[in-house]
Amino acid sequence: MSVEIRDICFSYGKIKALDGIDLSLPKGAVGLLGPNGAGKSTLLRILLGFLTPDRGEGQVLGYDIKTQQAMIRKFVGYMPEDDCLIPSMDAVSFTSYLGELSGMPRQEAMKRAHEVLFYVGLEESRYRNLETYSGGMKQRLKFAQAIVHDPKLIFLDEPTSGLDPQGRKEILELIMDVSSKKDIQVFVSSHILSDIESVCSYVVILNKGKLASQGKISDLKQINYSLYEIKTKGDSEDFVKRLRDLQCKVEETQDGIMKVYLPPDKGPQEIFKLAAEGKNQIRHFVKSQTSLEDVFASLVGVD
Amino acid sequence: MPIREKGYTHWDGEFQPKKFFWWPITRYGIKLTFKKKFFKFVFFMTLVPAVVYLAGIYVSERLDDFSFMIRESAPLLQVNPVFFKSYFTSEFLLFMIVIIMLFCGAGLISDDLKYNSLQLYFSRPITKKDYFIGKSAVIVFFLSILTLIPGLIFIVMKLIFSGSFKFLASYPWLPFSVIGYSAFLTCFFAFYTLFLSSVNKNRRYVSILIFGLYVFSDILFGIFFGIFGKQYFALLSIKVNLQQVGACLFGQKTPYHVPWFYSVLIITGICVLAVSVLKKKIKGVEIIK
Repeated sequence: MSVEIRDICFSYGKIKALDGIDLSLPKGAVGLLGPNGAGKSTLLRILLGFLTPDRGEGQVLGYDIKTQQAMIRKFVGYMPEDDCLIPSMDAVSFTSYLGELSGMPRQEAMKRAHEVLFYVGLEESRYRNLETYSGGMKQRLKFAQAIVHDPKLIFLDEPTSGLDPQGRKEILELIMDVSSKKDIQVFVSSHILSDIESVCSYVVILNKGKLASQGKISDLKQINYSLYEIKTKGDSEDFVKRLRDLQCKVEETQDGIMKVYLPPDKGPQEIFKLAAEGKNQIRHFVKSQTSLEDVFASLVGVD
Repeated sequence: MPIREKGYTHWDGEFQPKKFFWWPITRYGIKLTFKKKFFKFVFFMTLVPAVVYLAGIYVSERLDDFSFMIRESAPLLQVNPVFFKSYFTSEFLLFMIVIIMLFCGAGLISDDLKYNSLQLYFSRPITKKDYFIGKSAVIVFFLSILTLIPGLIFIVMKLIFSGSFKFLASYPWLPFSVIGYSAFLTCFFAFYTLFLSSVNKNRRYVSILIFGLYVFSDILFGIFFGIFGKQYFALLSIKVNLQQVGACLFGQKTPYHVPWFYSVLIITGICVLAVSVLKKKIKGVEIIK
């Protein structure tokens, strides 16, 4: 296991950001999901050693997260969420500079900087000043600096934020390429569920600082619930209330369709029973294909 | 833009053992300073007094040859601790050091705060100490060229021009004074500049602070001294405090009747304040508790 943590807790003053997180991440690309404030960035920062947990212990690549942060950072690449650059530099100097700070010899860092800039598709603009780069180019550059020292594990914090569809596709291709063909483990934190679904096979879901779920996406989709799309006529508010009393999670879409997440111990006939009791007419009833979005919604709530 | 035209290859080199992780930070800081507009000219101007003093050392050994030029000013050309003190504590040199700090020091940390680059540094295996050493070494580099190196060159040239070790035998402690005062000045300006550079994200504000605080402290002293006539108000001035310590280290009378160690205490206090602020400001992530 490349990342293994037990009972990690961290608070910002009185606010608990992480509360008893246990994780064991397998090889390959792993997605980290959660709504705003779930503790995703805090978890990444703890794994990198920026923050020291209040409680708990863990290891990244076999190095202790509390005492061996320097070793972790030597073998881990990090692509931060925020825009960050070093002014008055071009991409080659920037990437090789950060390679040197990782401990690479100067000449090799320079050679490697050219290689990774070619790899991420910035070869033509590698001598341009960074301040003139577009958002998409900055994202690629951040990816390049994360892989310049050939890390064994990369933490990517919102790698596709602020990108147009083409830029997103290209960054996702890069992530897939390094994780599947280059034997580099990737830990991606993102709000965009479809991105995670397209790149990762394993996902960790955080909610309010707690571990909501973790596992293979394919497993999570199957075992947790059944999803039905329903359209009714009648008092829908009362019907929704009854469904919720039945431990179902209900999401109402704009076109009047309800997505009902039925717990594993309940069958679809229960929905019909409730509808009959409340004199609701069911006009549309389809068992839906579950996506990661549905898994996420069922675990962290649909609000 | 095509991706992976050349594909990703693993790096098969080896990481360097951790010794001078701060060196790339220093090298980049120095390189960036030399790229700045007008810096080379200002730096050259700052070195002019050193060249003049060096010429003075040469002339002092050739008084007969230059008698037509020197006339009444021969006493000024005596190379002794006063000569060194006058170079190191001259208002021009101290003022120009502050100007050099604006070029090389103002943006050292403020730019990193502005562009969020601290997290890039600290996602690498460098520590706060490496970062601080790397940044302060930029200041040390420029101040050494203005203080330590000229001071030592003066001594060496005096020995060469005079052709004997008599000068060194008369003032054996002088090299230590040069090293000590250079280290004192460098240390103070490194802390002073990095401290102010860490308090704001805008390099221009930081420049105003570095320059303003130095000048304002002197003006404040002038006002209070003018009103109350007490020499102790000299402690308000950064410049005077530096001159007081300089005079003491070169074995001369202090310019004001205030014990020199008061000035040392004040300068040390500024440095301690700087360290505590830098400790809080320099971190990989901003934690709001």
